[in-house]
Amino acid sequence: MSTSLTDPERLVVALPKGALYPEATARLAEAGIVVPPEPGRRLNVLAQDGKTELLFLRPTDVPTYVEFGAADCGIVGKDVLWETERDVCELADLGFGACRLVVAARRVDRYHEGAPLPTFCRAATKFVRTAETYFAERDLPVQIVPLHGSVELAPLVGLADVIVDLVATGATLREHDLVIVHEIEASTARFVVNPVRFRSKYAAMTKLLQALLRPPEVFS
Amino acid sequence: MKLPAGVRDWLPAELTRKRAVEASIRAVFAASGYDEVETPATERYETLLTGLGEHVAAQTYRFDDRRGTQLALRPEMTTSIARLVSTRLRDDLPLRLSYVARAFRFEEPQEGRMREFTQAGLEYLGVASADADAEALFTAITALDAVGLSTMQIDINHVAVLDGVLASVGVPAGLSLEVKRLLSTRNLVELQALLEPRYPVAARELFALALARGQGELLGRLQPWCQSESAQDGIKRLQFLLDEAQKRGLEHRITVDPTLLRGLGYYTGMVFEGYVGELGFPLCGGGRYDDLLPRFGLEAPAVGWSVGIERILLALERQGVR
Repeated sequence: MSTSLTDPERLVVALPKGALYPEATARLAEAGIVVPPEPGRRLNVLAQDGKTELLFLRPTDVPTYVEFGAADCGIVGKDVLWETERDVCELADLGFGACRLVVAARRVDRYHEGAPLPTFCRAATKFVRTAETYFAERDLPVQIVPLHGSVELAPLVGLADVIVDLVATGATLREHDLVIVHEIEASTARFVVNPVRFRSKYAAMTKLLQALLRPPEVFS
Repeated sequence: MKLPAGVRDWLPAELTRKRAVEASIRAVFAASGYDEVETPATERYETLLTGLGEHVAAQTYRFDDRRGTQLALRPEMTTSIARLVSTRLRDDLPLRLSYVARAFRFEEPQEGRMREFTQAGLEYLGVASADADAEALFTAITALDAVGLSTMQIDINHVAVLDGVLASVGVPAGLSLEVKRLLSTRNLVELQALLEPRYPVAARELFALALARGQGELLGRLQPWCQSESAQDGIKRLQFLLDEAQKRGLEHRITVDPTLLRGLGYYTGMVFEGYVGELGFPLCGGGRYDDLLPRFGLEAPAVGWSVGIERILLALERQGVR
């Protein structure tokens, strides 16, 4: 195993590739942890401080790495935390990467104006667990159609009645003449840590947390 | 032919290592005056429900015998020992008992969390004193030292201290369970969202509390928040543990984590958890549970802890010990 994991001075930080990546690395850089200019195809690199190890992961994998202690901490969207339900400590809301998890449907179906959902609703989504919870809490019979991308297409071609998906600007929905039926929850990027590593790397962890919090919050 | 999920075989070399770990721990238990007991792997489901409460239902293997009696595989040993003591050893208190036994939990199998696993542990029953807390805690350190994990760090806390702080910062009783859940899982984002709008003082103080760790100086900072008698007693007991650690030259191994609770509602006093850098989850844990024996009709306090044998083996393997 990596020696970084047992050295209390060194942190292993999991970073999400994709939409959150630019802002996540910018915030880390402000905290003194700078990604080397040309990481290339490497999935793990040493930051320019010479001691922090950075892992580049699919966003959905960040909580897994952190829960099992393969990374000490990480940056990940709240939407992923809902979906993965991993045991990690959510220390800070970093504020960026704002988006909303919504139920959306075709405008012509008028669900957004209160038309009743089909008795047995088919919901296409990448967020299977979150969607299941949403419908279960409302006692609505549902068939979840798990998809990995292009979810907006599902209602247009009759694969599903509604979708449960993330919306940032709403442009993709508009382009496909879909409208929001219900907003489930708002998501932003979070700083998460492994519960045991928070203790064993306390000094390094709280220093990074303080640097990430903006405006800086004071704790004694 | 396949094994069910979450269970494993032990091949000769693996079993040799496991037996060696168990033997080291048994030797420490014996030298510390703890007598080993064994109880059946099956208990009446009702017994487990009495000891552990509703949430246990989701985790136990349950089945009916041919007469329709609800049985379950024990998910841990403390409840079985409480039953045993309340029925057959009630006149023999105080008691020092230990065990090395398999337990069963229906959980998602993952590293360090198998559905069948071996636990070693001890229970010191019938004594409520701070000395008993200390004895249990330091025997845990001795036992883990004996298996070669002298890098284990221990976090300690007292549930009454956190209750005292919550009351002092103005968390209403109705919210306290939820606040404790969020603190003990360090979900500070949700904690802020819950408290900030109506209880800004509590939000600010508890945010600081959740990020605090320390020893005597931390207890000094917590003291003014601890107005109730039980919270004051909690501070004294934690200070006693720190003093005892110092006497034993173990002060660098023990830290106060004011949010450590180890579940809600089971522990009534001191709680602790031990961990090593190689594992992302605790190695051992325990505390004082004075409410358990009374549920079995025996008015007696108790303190105890357990350690996962498989977790020890995993930590040793990661440290390169074979």
